[in-house]
Amino acid sequence: MWTHYPELLQRPVPRYTSYPTAADFTDQVGAQRYVQALDAIEDGTPLSLYVHIPFCEEICWYCGCNTARSNKRSRLSAYLDSLHEEIALAAHHLAGRGRVQRISFGGGSPNAIEPLDFVRLVGDIIIAFQAEDPLISVEIDPRQVADDWISVLRSARVRYASMGVQTFDPLVQEAIGRVQPYEDVLSLTHKLRDAGVSSINFDLMYGLPHQDQHLLMETLEQTVSLSPDRIALFGYAHMPHIIPRQRRIDTAALPGEAVRFAMAATGHDFLVEQGYQPIGFDHFAKPDDPLAIAAREGRLHRNFQGFTDDESEHLIGFGASAISQLPGLYAQNAKNAGVYRAAVAEGHFPIERGVERDSESRRHGTLINDILCHGKAPLPHRLTQEQSETLEEFVQRGLVTTGAGQVHLRPAAAPYARTIAAIFDPRMAGRIGSFSAPV
Amino acid sequence: MDHCSSCVVRNRAICSSLDAGGVNALGKIGRHHRLVPGQTLIWEGEDSTVVANVIDGVLKLSTSLSDGREQIVGVVYPSDFIGRPFGARAQHNVTALTDAHVCTFSSSDFDRFAREHPELEHKLLDRTLSELDRTRRWLLLLGRMTASEKLANFLLDMSERIAPSGCKTEAPLDSFDIPFGRQQIADILGLTIETVSRRLNDFKAQKIIAVPTRRRIEILNRAALSDIAATPNR
Repeated sequence: MWTHYPELLQRPVPRYTSYPTAADFTDQVGAQRYVQALDAIEDGTPLSLYVHIPFCEEICWYCGCNTARSNKRSRLSAYLDSLHEEIALAAHHLAGRGRVQRISFGGGSPNAIEPLDFVRLVGDIIIAFQAEDPLISVEIDPRQVADDWISVLRSARVRYASMGVQTFDPLVQEAIGRVQPYEDVLSLTHKLRDAGVSSINFDLMYGLPHQDQHLLMETLEQTVSLSPDRIALFGYAHMPHIIPRQRRIDTAALPGEAVRFAMAATGHDFLVEQGYQPIGFDHFAKPDDPLAIAAREGRLHRNFQGFTDDESEHLIGFGASAISQLPGLYAQNAKNAGVYRAAVAEGHFPIERGVERDSESRRHGTLINDILCHGKAPLPHRLTQEQSETLEEFVQRGLVTTGAGQVHLRPAAAPYARTIAAIFDPRMAGRIGSFSAPV
Repeated sequence: MDHCSSCVVRNRAICSSLDAGGVNALGKIGRHHRLVPGQTLIWEGEDSTVVANVIDGVLKLSTSLSDGREQIVGVVYPSDFIGRPFGARAQHNVTALTDAHVCTFSSSDFDRFAREHPELEHKLLDRTLSELDRTRRWLLLLGRMTASEKLANFLLDMSERIAPSGCKTEAPLDSFDIPFGRQQIADILGLTIETVSRRLNDFKAQKIIAVPTRRRIEILNRAALSDIAATPNR
């Protein structure tokens, strides 16, 4: 059982899905710099691709992703045309260098597009990058998944699927604008298994309006009864000043910090008791799932989609707002679909922002990654007085040990992992706002 | 078009999903075209203005690489469907390898028709899925296979897809004419003509195939050919 030390969780910290984080992206990185980074990719380099489909049938109020309603077929098809062009542009540029091993479709909801369009997208990527058998993963909105989609997932050989479940409680669902009966998730889970999906993930949330520990436990029990291979249990981040759609959520109905912590802790204990292996600070996986195996073997990584067993250092993002993660830089495509399409139509990479990864930031990034993924990292030689003092607070509470030049997180430190990582983030000095509460 | 009732691919082409009325209505918006070897029906990257059923002949799908070379990404046979309904741009060049006979539709006409006939739209999805499967096998063939494996796959694929006119059966043919020469086989498979001839002679010597004339292929031992075609990856 985790112990709640509210005094350690006062400072909002990044989720560290990258380092430097997206908050440090500027327009100093543009298409030209991105092209240089693509040029640096050598023959045979393992590549992962991420394809962003920024559409959903319905917009949920809690969601912080870059999405729009897929109500107009013409808008969807214009976007898909640009996506095909952007993919062709990158493939043309790489001219056969790099080997695509993974393709992830995320959003939004990839299943907001027509099954036929999805098959064509997969086919075109496979041809463009000569990737005959990549590991394909897809995020799926479990509401209204037509049988056509299931046969498409089977034939396209999709191996990983991730469902946004969030909560099974009808009242909480209503309070976040996502009504999604348990039966839908149940039937989709069975269909995905039949279709050959070997690893199914459920995204769940705590800290939702009207949610308490009891309701979270009910959702977790229902979740476990469906036996997903992976579970991500995220804290809902309420930031209506940044994400206007969250204004529809009743702030008064949100649980306070102590309840949030208790939910995260109970959730963790329950899932562990049910045989799941904790991965990082908010993921869980069955011990035989590739993610759990990677974690045990010290091969866990963190990318924009969370904790992953993907070991590629080259992630190329396609679509509006998609982020490419390359050894020398992070580069993000234009968020606005119109701006994105206009750039692609002119034959340019639609890069809008990004940040260089110089050797110093890579060193810090590795350390933060080590703390979050492996729970230990080499202790830097020189710490400022403030860093030492902050670290000491965690040591005194028995959450962290230091010795033999290592900082080592105890298992009970999981909810504090981001906060501990932030100690070693020089960019955190004097920064406030834009990040969410650590638990 | 009154040809439809006597069309040799009517039982296998995408229109087979339609009832008689539907076939009739689709036929009215179709046009027959004949292509000579080397003639391109659809150009990669151009606006997608035409889709077609292959009635007779063999065509190649290709794409241009950044260094200007051509890469073949597939071969289409009678009853296959070419082009991309509901798509803005053509993804491949479609070029006749032999004399070919196709039934073409303007994309906008076809799209409108398919919207009104969900059974056709469904068939289109099925076709696209099998194309994806074939694309993967094709890439595997080009990228990973030895000359013998390539040739064995090519012969098996052709025996399954060059089925005789009007025939609805799925059974592959054990005897068929290859509609083009050794050089074209070599080009399609990314081999030299010498290698193609040598491997065909090997198959012949092993009594796996017979080659009674320059164009004719008889498969004598399909199991052995399948064994050669099978790679550890499949």
